[in-house]
Amino acid sequence: MSTDEIVVEHLTKQYKRLRAVDDLSFSVRAGRVTGFLGPNGAGKTTTLRMLLGLVTPTAGQATFGGTRYAELADPIKHVGAVLEASSAHRGRTGRNHLRMICRAAGLPDSRADEVLTIVGLTPAANRKFKGYSLGMRQRLGIAAALLGDPRVLILDEPANGLDPEGIRWMRDLLKALAAEGRTVLVSSHLLGEMQLLADDVVIVAAGKLIRQGPVDDVLGTMGTGAHVRVRTPQPAELKAALSELNATATEQTDGSLMVVGAEAAAIGHAAFAASVELHELATERGDLEQVFLQLTAGKAGIR
Amino acid sequence: MSLSLVNAELFKVRTTSIWWVLGIVLVPLYAASVLVNWAQFAAGQPDEGLSDTQSAQIEAALEPVNVATTLYTSGQFFGVLIVVLLGAIIVTSEFFHLTATTTFLTTPRRESVILAKFGAAVVIGLLVWLITTVLNLIVVPLIMNQLDVPAQLGTAAVWRAIGLNALAFGLWAILGVGVGVLIRSQIAATLVLAITYVVGTQAIGLIFFLLSEWVAEWFNKLQVIVPTTASQLMISGTELPGNPPRWVGAAVLIGYAAVTGVLGTLITKRRDIS
Ligand SMILES: Nc1ncnc2c1ncn2[C@@H]1O[C@H](COP(=O)(O)OP(=O)(O)OP(=O)(O)O)[C@@H](O)[C@H]1O
Ligand SMILES: [Mg+2]
Repeated sequence: MSTDEIVVEHLTKQYKRLRAVDDLSFSVRAGRVTGFLGPNGAGKTTTLRMLLGLVTPTAGQATFGGTRYAELADPIKHVGAVLEASSAHRGRTGRNHLRMICRAAGLPDSRADEVLTIVGLTPAANRKFKGYSLGMRQRLGIAAALLGDPRVLILDEPANGLDPEGIRWMRDLLKALAAEGRTVLVSSHLLGEMQLLADDVVIVAAGKLIRQGPVDDVLGTMGTGAHVRVRTPQPAELKAALSELNATATEQTDGSLMVVGAEAAAIGHAAFAASVELHELATERGDLEQVFLQLTAGKAGIR
Repeated sequence: MSLSLVNAELFKVRTTSIWWVLGIVLVPLYAASVLVNWAQFAAGQPDEGLSDTQSAQIEAALEPVNVATTLYTSGQFFGVLIVVLLGAIIVTSEFFHLTATTTFLTTPRRESVILAKFGAAVVIGLLVWLITTVLNLIVVPLIMNQLDVPAQLGTAAVWRAIGLNALAFGLWAILGVGVGVLIRSQIAATLVLAITYVVGTQAIGLIFFLLSEWVAEWFNKLQVIVPTTASQLMISGTELPGNPPRWVGAAVLIGYAAVTGVLGTLITKRRDIS
C-alpha cells in the first residue's frame, strides 16, 4: 500500500459523553481531490487530527497506507496540513513563522520565501501575524503546508475567509496538485465550491460514514444525476414527444421541466421534429447541496 | 536531542518580543541585587541577642570568602526568576498562541520537542548566568575594594560558587519548562511560579521556622527541600554552620528538575492537541 493513500479504519473517538467519531472507515486516493463533508460537529476536524497524530483515537486507526503520521520518516515532507485552528504567534512575522518550521524540519530558510510567493503573501511577509486578515492567515497556513513540497495535502476548511479570487486561486492550486498525482483531502461546508473542486466525496454525519465515492456516482444514486432543464410553452406536446425517447420529464415548481434519460441534443431534435417551441435547453449536473441535505437529513444538528 | 530542534526553539524565542521584555526587566533587578548585597556587607557585625547558631551563621557569612561568593553570584535570585518564567513561557505560549498544532505537526515525536525546549531553556539560562557573571566580575572587585576585602579572584571557592551558580541557572531553566508543561495556562503558570518563587520561599521558611521552634529542631534542616533555599545553599562559599552540605542543595534541585522534566514529557506525549 502506498503511503500516498489515506486509510481510515474503524476510527473511533470517545469524549467524555460524546462519541465524536464512531467506527469510521474510508480511504482517499492519490491524484484526486477528495471532499470531506459533514454537518457541524460531524467529527471531521477530530478525524483529521487523529490522522495527523494530534489526537489519540479511542479505537481503530488512521494511516498513510498503513504508516501512522508519527512514524513517517519526514512527516513535513510527506504530508502538509492546514487545520482550522492552525495559528501563529501574534507577535511573530509571517516569514519568521515559516522559517521556524523550516529550522525544525531541516529545510533551508529560502523555502519560506518560495511558499510566500506561491500563496501571494510576499508583500506582508515581514508584518506581524496579529495584523493579518482572516484570508491572509489562511494563506499563511497553506504556505506552511506547502513548505515540505508534500505528497499528501490535508486541509480543514481552507476556503474560510478567502475572497472570491482567493477561492478560485485555491481551487486551481488544489486541482493542479492533484493532477501532479498528489493526494488532496479537503473538508468544507461550501458545497457549491466542493462540486467544482472535488472528484470524490466522503460524507459523514454524527461521526459515522454516510456515503463515499466519486461525486457523480453519489449524485447519481440519489436520483439527481445529470439531467436537462427544458422550458417550453407547450409542455404537454413535449412530454408526448419525449415519451417516444423513453425519457421522463417532471414539472418543476418554477414551471420548467426536468428531463432524465435523454441528452440535450436528442431532446432538441425531438422538439424540433414535433414543432415544439423551446425557450431553454440546458444540461445540469446534479446538485451536491441537495444530495448532501437529503443524505444528512435528521443526522445534522449540534450534538 | 536534536540540535536543529533546539535551534528552532531558540529561533522562536528570538523572533518574539519576550526576550527583550524580560531582559529589560532584569536590568534594574540585577542592579538592585548588587546594591542590596553591598549594603548588607557594609552594615557589618551582627546584633546581640541571637541564638548561637544564628550568630555563628552570620559570622560565617561575613567571612571574606563568603562575602566574595555572595557578591560574585549577585543577580542569581532575580536572574533565575526570569529564566524560570521564560522556561515556562516557552511551553505555555505554544498553547496560548495555538502554535502547538504546527509544532507537533512538524515534529510528531513530542518528547523530542520537550527535550529541545529543555535544551533551549538551559542555553538561555546559561546566557543570563554568563551576562550576570561578567557584570559581577567587573563590578564586584570595586565593591570589595570599598569594603576593604580582598578581591579573591584567585580563590577556588569563588570559582566553585560561580560554577555552581551556572548549574543553578541550568536546573531552574529545566524546572521552568517542566512547570510550563504541568500548568498549561500561560497566566496560571507564570503567576504560580513567580509567587511561589518570591513569596513562597519566605512563607515556607516561616513554616519551617515555626515547626522547628514548636515541634522539633530538625525541621530546620528540611528547609533545603525548598528549591530557592537549595540553590542558595549550593553557591555558598564555605559550609555554613547548622546547614546541610552544599551537595544536598544541588541534589534537591536536580531532583526537582528531573521530576518536572520526566512528568512533563510523559504528560505531553499523552495529551490531545486540539
Ligand atoms: N476536546 C474535545 N472534548 C470534548 N468534545 C469534543 C472535543 N473536540 C471535539 N469535540 C466534540 O466532537 C464533535 C465533533 O467535533 P469536530 O470538531 O470534529 O466536528 P467538525 O465536523 O469538524 O465540525 P465543524 O464542521 O463545525 O468544524 C463535536 O460535537 C464537538 O463538540
Ligand atoms: Mg471542523
